[in-house]
This record gives sequence, structure tokens and C-alpha cells, in this order.
Amino acid sequence: MSSDDPIESAAAGITKGIIELSSEKIKEWIRKFKDRKLAFIQDKSVIEVVKEQYASGESKFYSKYIKNKDILFLTRLGLTLRKIENDIERVTNLQQKILKKYEVRGLHISYFVQNGILNRYIGLLIEDISSEEELEEKILNILENIEKHTLFVTGQDKPERVIQSALTIVSSHNPTIFIVSGIGSASKIVKECSQKLESLMTNYELEKVSGGKKEILFFKRKVKI
Amino acid sequence: MELVSLKNVSMNSKILLLEELGYGSNGKFVLDSNGNKVLDRYLEIPVEVENMVILPGSEIVLDNNELSISKYIEEFGDVF
Repeated sequence: MSSDDPIESAAAGITKGIIELSSEKIKEWIRKFKDRKLAFIQDKSVIEVVKEQYASGESKFYSKYIKNKDILFLTRLGLTLRKIENDIERVTNLQQKILKKYEVRGLHISYFVQNGILNRYIGLLIEDISSEEELEEKILNILENIEKHTLFVTGQDKPERVIQSALTIVSSHNPTIFIVSGIGSASKIVKECSQKLESLMTNYELEKVSGGKKEILFFKRKVKI
Repeated sequence: MELVSLKNVSMNSKILLLEELGYGSNGKFVLDSNGNKVLDRYLEIPVEVENMVILPGSEIVLDNNELSISKYIEEFGDVF
């Protein structure tokens, strides 16, 4: 819906020019607000993006298997980050909010979903899973202990340090699936480390997800027969 | 639910709107009736007039961001 009347446009959630409101208009809006028929927003896009993520198939899948409310909430924020990822200012703002509320671990969980790592991780898990309960348990385990399963590489990290950190995590926690994630400028660094890590981690099989500005390494522990 | 955008509403009109609801402003932040900064219910950050949303449910004044809106939807349901 579109209108040349700026007040009608505001009422339609559309923004046009600077609007001065009459006291009658303010009173009318307040009356509707108190009757729970009206809400004051900035723009519709924030609400629409959030609603879209809640309705998505991926979100519904996670809600079936993730019972921890905070972690489920963070997966939904990860989906929201994915949806808005071309808008750097908006992404940065949301990341800062996640960091404030849920600290680094919360940010890592949302990154994990944003970059499609969780859905690929689940794909790898499903190959060896025997029940839905086991799947639920393993999804929760990785998200609750994300730093024991994943190395998040930053653009400032040095390759030697990445390799050392990866080997330390693997030897300390012996994860079934270990992930090295490089997004943006970190993707180059992860690419550089890939071959060396593969040669050092002989108990693991490597699967790479490359593309755009992402380089994600999934090391799956070999099954001993 | 009718959604009214405050994005291009003048600061003066927004302050009048807040006053009708029992709030105020120092020209930057939303203030409560005691003159204290109103904090976003979920993030506990002061809400700026230029970035406020006012939603039903005991007059919830929030910062306009995806985290707070998501939390609101989880608490009050999809009222939109």
C-alpha cells in the first residue's frame, strides 16, 4: 500500500518525509494502541525478518531437536544473521547485541547456524545415528560445548597458531566431528592450514565446504573396525 | 495489528507521543515518569527515541533490533 499522505504512509509502515503529528492524531493512535490495535515501530523489515525466521523449515527442525530455550533462541538469531548478512551495519549491530546478552559462546552458536555449519554437522551426524534421541543429545552437546568441537578462526590469526590450537582442541576433547571455521578474511587462513591439518590429523577424514567468503573444514573421526 | 512507523515522525511529535503514554525524553533517550532512562526489557540498554519501538503488553518500549523483537515475540506471541 502506498500513499502521498505522510501520516497515512507512517500508518502503513512506509516512511516518507518528516512528519509532524497533530494532537488529535496522537490521541487517536494512543487510543488504538491502548486497545491493542496498533504498535509503533521503526520499519517493518526488522519484524518481517524475525517472523520469517521463526516460520522457516530450518527453525522448525531445530525447535524439534533443541529443547534448551536459550540455545534454540540463538539458533534463530543465527538464521536471522544469515538472512541479513548482506547488510553489514545491521549484522554488526545484531552481533553486538548477541555478544552483550550471550557473550562469545552465544555469538559462536549463532555464527555456527548463520554459516550453515550446524545443518552440515547434522548431515554428518545422521550418517551414524541410531535414534532421534541420540540426534537430539548430540546436537545439544555440540552447541553447549561449541568450543570443544569448533575452532573459530579470525582474520588476525596466524596459520601456525591455528594449527596448534586445532591440535590442542582435538587432543584434549577427542571430538567425533571437529570443525575449523573461517569466514571473511579468515577463510584464506583456513585454506592455508587445510592441507597441513589433514596430514597431521590422521585419525580424521576431511570434508571441506568452500565458497564465497567461507572455508569450513569438517574433520570426521575415522571409525576403527 | 496496525503498524505505525515512527521513522520519519519528527522528534517533537515523538516526544508528545511519549508524554501521552506517561514517558518523557531528554531529546535523546526515552525517560520514565521519574526521569530515569527507560531500558530495553531484554538487553537492558537505554532506549533512544530515534530507535524506539512501542509495543502492546504493558507499553513495552524497546530498542529496534532483531534480538529484542525476537524476545518480544517469544514472550507475547506474534501480535503483529
